[in-house]
This record gives sequence, C-alpha cells and structure tokens, in this order.
Amino acid sequence: MSERADRIEAAFAHVFHPSMVSAREGEQEVRVCAATTCAGSGAGAVRDAFRDELTRRGLQQEWRVVETGCRGSCDQGPIVSVEPAGVFYPRVSPASVPRIVAETLVGGRPVEDLLYRHPDTGRPVARAADVPFLLGQRRLVLALAGRIDPASIDDAIAHERYRAFVEALIADEPDDVIDAVEESGLRTRVGDPGSVGSRWRRALDGTHDERFVVCTADEGDPGAFADRTVLESDPHAVIEGMLLAAFAIGARHGVVRVRRDHAAAGERLRGALVECRERGLLGRDILGAGLSFDIEIDAAERMLVCADETALIASLEGRRAVPRIRPPAPTEAGFRGRPTVVSDAVAYAAVPWIVRNGAAAYAAAGLHEHTGTRVFSLSGQVRNGGVVEVPAGTSLRRVVEDIGGGARPGRRLKAVQIGGPLGVCLPATALEAPIDDLAAGSSSLVVLDDRTCMVDLARHLLSISQREGCGTCVPCRLGTKRSLEILERIVDGRGRDGDMELLAELGTYCSQGTLCVLGGNASNPVLGTLRDFADEYEAHITERRCPAGVCRALITYSIDPEACTGCTLCAQRCPAAVISGREGQPHVIDVSGCTKCDICRQVCPDGAVRVRSGVSQAVAPGTA
Amino acid sequence: MLGILKALRTTVSHLPRKPLTVQYPEVREELPERSRGLFKVVVDVTTEEARCRACTLCETNCPVQVIRVDYRNKYDLPAVDQAALARDRLAEQGAVDLSPLRPIIDGHLESGTGLNAVLQRVQDAYGYLPRAALQQLSLETGTSLSQIYGTASFSDRFRLAPPAAHIISVCRGTTCYAAGAPLVAQALREALGIDADGTTADGFVTLQSVDCLGVCGPAPVVRVDDRVHVAMTPERAHALVQELRVAEGVT
Repeated sequence: MSERADRIEAAFAHVFHPSMVSAREGEQEVRVCAATTCAGSGAGAVRDAFRDELTRRGLQQEWRVVETGCRGSCDQGPIVSVEPAGVFYPRVSPASVPRIVAETLVGGRPVEDLLYRHPDTGRPVARAADVPFLLGQRRLVLALAGRIDPASIDDAIAHERYRAFVEALIADEPDDVIDAVEESGLRTRVGDPGSVGSRWRRALDGTHDERFVVCTADEGDPGAFADRTVLESDPHAVIEGMLLAAFAIGARHGVVRVRRDHAAAGERLRGALVECRERGLLGRDILGAGLSFDIEIDAAERMLVCADETALIASLEGRRAVPRIRPPAPTEAGFRGRPTVVSDAVAYAAVPWIVRNGAAAYAAAGLHEHTGTRVFSLSGQVRNGGVVEVPAGTSLRRVVEDIGGGARPGRRLKAVQIGGPLGVCLPATALEAPIDDLAAGSSSLVVLDDRTCMVDLARHLLSISQREGCGTCVPCRLGTKRSLEILERIVDGRGRDGDMELLAELGTYCSQGTLCVLGGNASNPVLGTLRDFADEYEAHITERRCPAGVCRALITYSIDPEACTGCTLCAQRCPAAVISGREGQPHVIDVSGCTKCDICRQVCPDGAVRVRSGVSQAVAPGTA
Repeated sequence: MLGILKALRTTVSHLPRKPLTVQYPEVREELPERSRGLFKVVVDVTTEEARCRACTLCETNCPVQVIRVDYRNKYDLPAVDQAALARDRLAEQGAVDLSPLRPIIDGHLESGTGLNAVLQRVQDAYGYLPRAALQQLSLETGTSLSQIYGTASFSDRFRLAPPAAHIISVCRGTTCYAAGAPLVAQALREALGIDADGTTADGFVTLQSVDCLGVCGPAPVVRVDDRVHVAMTPERAHALVQELRVAEGVT
C-alpha cells in the first residue's frame, strides 16, 4: 500500500464510529418504517408502542427499535419487520404490538393472523422476501432502503457506504470513474434523458476550472416519489454519488434541489450533510486527499417546468424558472455560467454501486439490450402501490400486474399513465413494451381502472402543464390554453365536430415549436388519448355521453327501485336533500336539485345508486 | 370626471367598428403562402412617431434572442419619486415585524442558498410574503426588488397577501384525481359556499389545490393547515369543514 492509501484509510477509519452502529447484521431488532407514507398511516405510534412494550417487559437491552427508510410497499403501511428472522407485518396498529412482542420477539413464532396474506392464495406470508411485491424486484439503488437507520452515518458506513468513494480517492484516477459510469449506461431522468457519464465527460471539456454538481429531487410530476424515497431511506448514497461526481469532474460545490413538501426527505438530507461535515467527508481537503467539496440544499416548492435543466438552473440561481435556448448546454455553461452536471437523486445513488461493482455488473442487471435498473413509484387504482426497482427492459405488464397485483378487486385495468403530465397514457392492451423506453423522464406510474374517463384525464393532465408553463414560447402559452378550453368544452357536453382534429393540430404545433421539455411534451397525453381512446372522445362529442360516468355535465344519478331496500341512509346523508322515500320503500332522487356529489352512491350498502350517461340510456323513472 | 368622459368617447367610437382580432384556432386569417411573419415597430399615424417605448420587454422575452433594443431617451420626463411610491405601497400592509426575517437572511448570507428557498422560508415565517420583508431582503442581499418579485410571482405557491385562518389544500396529482379528488374538491366548495378555489367571504378558510404530496397510497388526500387527511370522500369533506367551524366557534 502506498503512503497516500494509508493516509486516506487512516482518515476514513477516524470517520467511522463502530460503537454507534445500531443495525448490525444478525442482531435482534424491530424495524419500523418511518418514511412519509408509513408515517402518515401511524408509524410513529407503532414505534412508541414497541418501545413501551419492550420497556415494560424489561427487554429494551436485548431488542432495539430502529426507524428505517422505505421498504417500498407503501400501501401496506405502517410496516414492521422483526430481524434477524425477517418476519414481515403490514398495517400494524399499536393495539397489535403486545401480541407481536409476546409471540414473535419472545416466543420466536409469527402471529399468523397479522401476517401479510398472499393476494391469490390467501395464505399468510411470513417473510418479507416472499411477499410478491418485493419478489419481482431487483434492488441495487434501493438495496439499503428499509434496512438501515437513515439518520445514522455509522449505520450507512457499516453497510459499505463511502467505500467506493474511498477506493476512488486511493486510486486517484478520475477518468476511471467517468469511464465506469459511461460504460455502465447509467441514465438520468432530467432534461433530455441521457447518459450520465457522457455529461460528466463533456463538463470536463469546458474551459472553466470551476464546475458544479447539481442533484434534483424536485419530481415535479404528480405520482412520482422515487427521488424522495432514496433521500429519505438512504441519503448517504446520494451524497456519495455526488462526491464521486465531484471527484470525477473536479467540482467544489454541489446543490441539491429538494421539494419543500417533502419535509422528511429534506430533514434526512440536512442531517446527513451535517454528519458528513462533522466527520470530514465534506468540506476542505476531504480525508486528506486534496479534494474539497460541499453540498447545499435548495428547498423550494415543486415546479413542473424544472423538468428542464436550464429552467432548474435558473430557479437555483434565484431567477424565474424559465428555460433558455441551447447551446450552450449546461455541461458547458450551467449554474452561474459554469460547466454543470445535472442528474436526479436516483441516478446519483446508483453511482457508488457502479464504481464498486463495476460497469459491466450494472449493465448486466438489465434485460436484453437494456442496462441497469429503473426505479418507479407505482400508485393509482392498483392493489399494491409503492416504490419499485426492476431490471431495465422489464415489461410494463410485469410491473403493474405481477408486482403491483393488477387492478383492485372488481375493477378492470383500463390504462397506465406514465411520466405525469409530460408522459403518455397507455391502454391496457399495450403493456408489453419495455418500461424504460416509455418513462424516460419520470418515475411515476399511475394505474387507472374503468372508472376513469380518458377525456377528462387528458383535460386534467393538460391543465397541470398549462398552469405550470413559463409562458416564453407562444405555441405552448397559447396552444395549451386553447387546447384546454376545447377539452373543457368537450367534458362539459359542448363539444363540436372537428374538435378532435383541432386538438391534434394544436398539440402537434405545440410539441414542435417550443424550447423546453415541458412545451415539447405537454401535448403527449392529449395526442396519446386521441389516438388510443378516440371512441371516448366521439361519445362525448357526438352522443353527449361519458362512457366512464365521470364528467358531471353528462351524467345523472338514479336509484334502482329493484335493488333499493329503503334503508334511508342516502336520504340522511344527501347534502342537497333531494332524496325522498319512506323507510322500507324504494327511494327517489330529484334530479333537478342533485349536485352529483356521489355521496349517495358511496354510502349505499346495496349498490342501488346508478350513474347513467347519455340520451340513449334513459334515466330510470322510478316513482315512489 | 372630464377624463372619464374623454375615455368613454374613445370607447364609444370603437363600438361600431369590427373587432381586429380573430378567434384562433376556429377562425384563421389567410396568410400569403411563404409568410413567416415580420415584426416591425408600429408608427402612430397622428404623430408619425414610433409607438415603441423602448421598454426592452421584447428583448428580454424573445425566446431565440434575436431582438436588440438600441435607444436614446428623447423625452425629458420628470423623475418618478420611487421612494414615495415604495412608502405608499408599504403603508398598505400595515406594520410588519421584521425580526423573524433576521435568521433567514443570516442563513442566506452564510450558506448562499437560492432565492426560492429564502422566499419559502419567509412565507413559512409570515404565512405570506410581506412587502416590507421583501424590501428588507432586497436591501440586505443586493438582489433587486423586481427580481425578487419576479421569482415570487412566478408560481401560485407564493402568496403576496395574508391567507385566511385555515388553508385547505386538495391534492391535484393524478393518483388522487383517479381516486376521486375532483368530487372531494367539489364537496369542499359546496360546504364552504364558494364557486372556485379561493377564500371564503368571512376570511375563514382558503381553499386551494396543491401539487402531488407524494402520499399516493391512501388517495385522495387533503391537507388542512399542516395535517394530511388520507382516503377522503365527499362526505368526510363536509364533516371536515363542519369540524373546523365547530373548533373555531363559527356557525
């Protein structure tokens, strides 16, 4: 070993405090997921209940209670696992904690009726590894999520975090790091999605000595929470990835854009940065190797237009988030006019794995000609939502049906909305395509069932882009506004002949005549639904009918006199008081005063409330 | 009074004329085949002078940056008393305590975090962006007030006026949309007696939409002040408003 290697290793040994490690492999511990979704469903109370119960039994020395990051299956929260046996409990309530402590912790056997039930067989599944949601995944970037305490740098180091960085410092060959990242095929979702490695190389070509590393966890599109999950569950992976980027391109400053709404992610990252500075992993002359680098956090409200790199940089500089024309690309003149590399948090979190395990190993994780893995946030009308990491090239059907469990019971999968307002809506018949070709710029996968009106969905998505656009380019500023007006007209039952052609034309102009990622893609949902769901548009325009029964102007509520048992529940709950009928007799809705609030349909225990649409299906008359 | 009549005369004189604009895209003007459109400065026929005021807005906003404004001021205009203007605008918002601003500005000067983040912290501290605070911010950071205002007014997430006692935010993400958020929003509007997003007449509640909160599992979600309510229904929306009213003693 060279003298440099010894010095760096000695400095790194000083960073690590083994005594502070809370999660050693094989030790007895209760892991409670404390990420946003689980916290929202009451994980804090469950954690306190475990601590109280263990203290009451005098077991607090033998068992630790650790708050971990996200396990991924967010719909099942709060999630608890008991290690080292790996027993997995979904939807834990404080009331069931004493039984888990008595039987699993003390008795060593699972509490059968609290276990996860296999959706197909109905049998209990004891181990987390056997839950179908986790079974189909390949977790490289999220390997430590849900296993370590994200608030402890020692936990992270005990699981080999910062090892890749230390080894790169010792080898002292920045070019090798860039080569590895380039060969691995790692891609970023920001801006024009592309190779991370080639961006790093281009940034090196610039004439300036000062360079910047920018990480964005902004995730402007709805339904995306992959970056947030990484920051919440394993913030040190992102920091290490940024350190490696700084080492590779010789940057001294890094900026992370986090969403203010994601308070937990911001707090985790802030805490991790403080620990890194205290231990000398950030700051001047890191580990005595001559590299100086620090990271600042820029917390702002989400902006969809920041999907464009130049808009993001303008926003980070404190200006309006307005994109600019390229060239020069951000790798040439970005943040403060200096060469800048921009990537999303998930991409940075993958860098340490690549540097440690080699570019070939990462590339081989993908299927067929695809490289690496992709992280998605799966939500919507699906049985198991959450954060999913799968090999690149996996088909959409596999993610939605095998991992997500398909549509909810009794419903039919209609479409999958990928990539938010700038993405596409795929019909259920087209799910065989590899997932990463479709969702290049975003992590969001929203599953839609037969209760979604695709025309209204297009209106909803376009309204987001229209509101979020910066207004620089005329085709986007006027085009999205006018398209939105046409769509509003259609869902309001005032569609005209030729509206579909107008929408297609405006959408095409908008995608051709604009500068940035937002304008270029804002019409995607409209153009896609026009192509794949033309029959729904036609039903709205020519028949004044909403096939999904969603558009308020086109539907009426009625009560099926055959099915109504006269329980009076709907009449009691109706806020407009337009439901009448005697107890035990079929009830009737006075359509003239009905506000179509849907409460009667939701409260009816017999499913007697019907939603009808269109002149061809007359509303059931039903006289009392 | 005379001024109003003069303006009215102009309005009336325009009434019998045909509109100059057309309703694109339904109506389109026939353009010459190879027309690419040309921009030129309009000359006022009465004075024979260019109507351009050299405000440089076109130069700033041209997406392809092909406009250069080169000008000399030919009028000798009286200087506007900017200080008096600023004082008047300040007076409209009453007294604002600037002490919560101190740690925010100190933090900004120390770490150099971006303006968006600073404005966010100011809004967290005051509930909105008071003009006095923005002026102080401009004074201490050297960022011009117009730039601060530009950034603040860019998105609907910054408020320039004080909000109501309670803020109810309905998630406008796609997942919540598919799970019935529009019905929940409608129910909230009905319960609050307002037609669109905004503040109730008594200043009790501000209803707004909020971008995806990332709590997509138990959709749809509604945030009341700082608390997130999951799996909302129209019925629970009515109950929520009722609870707020009861808690506040408003009937």
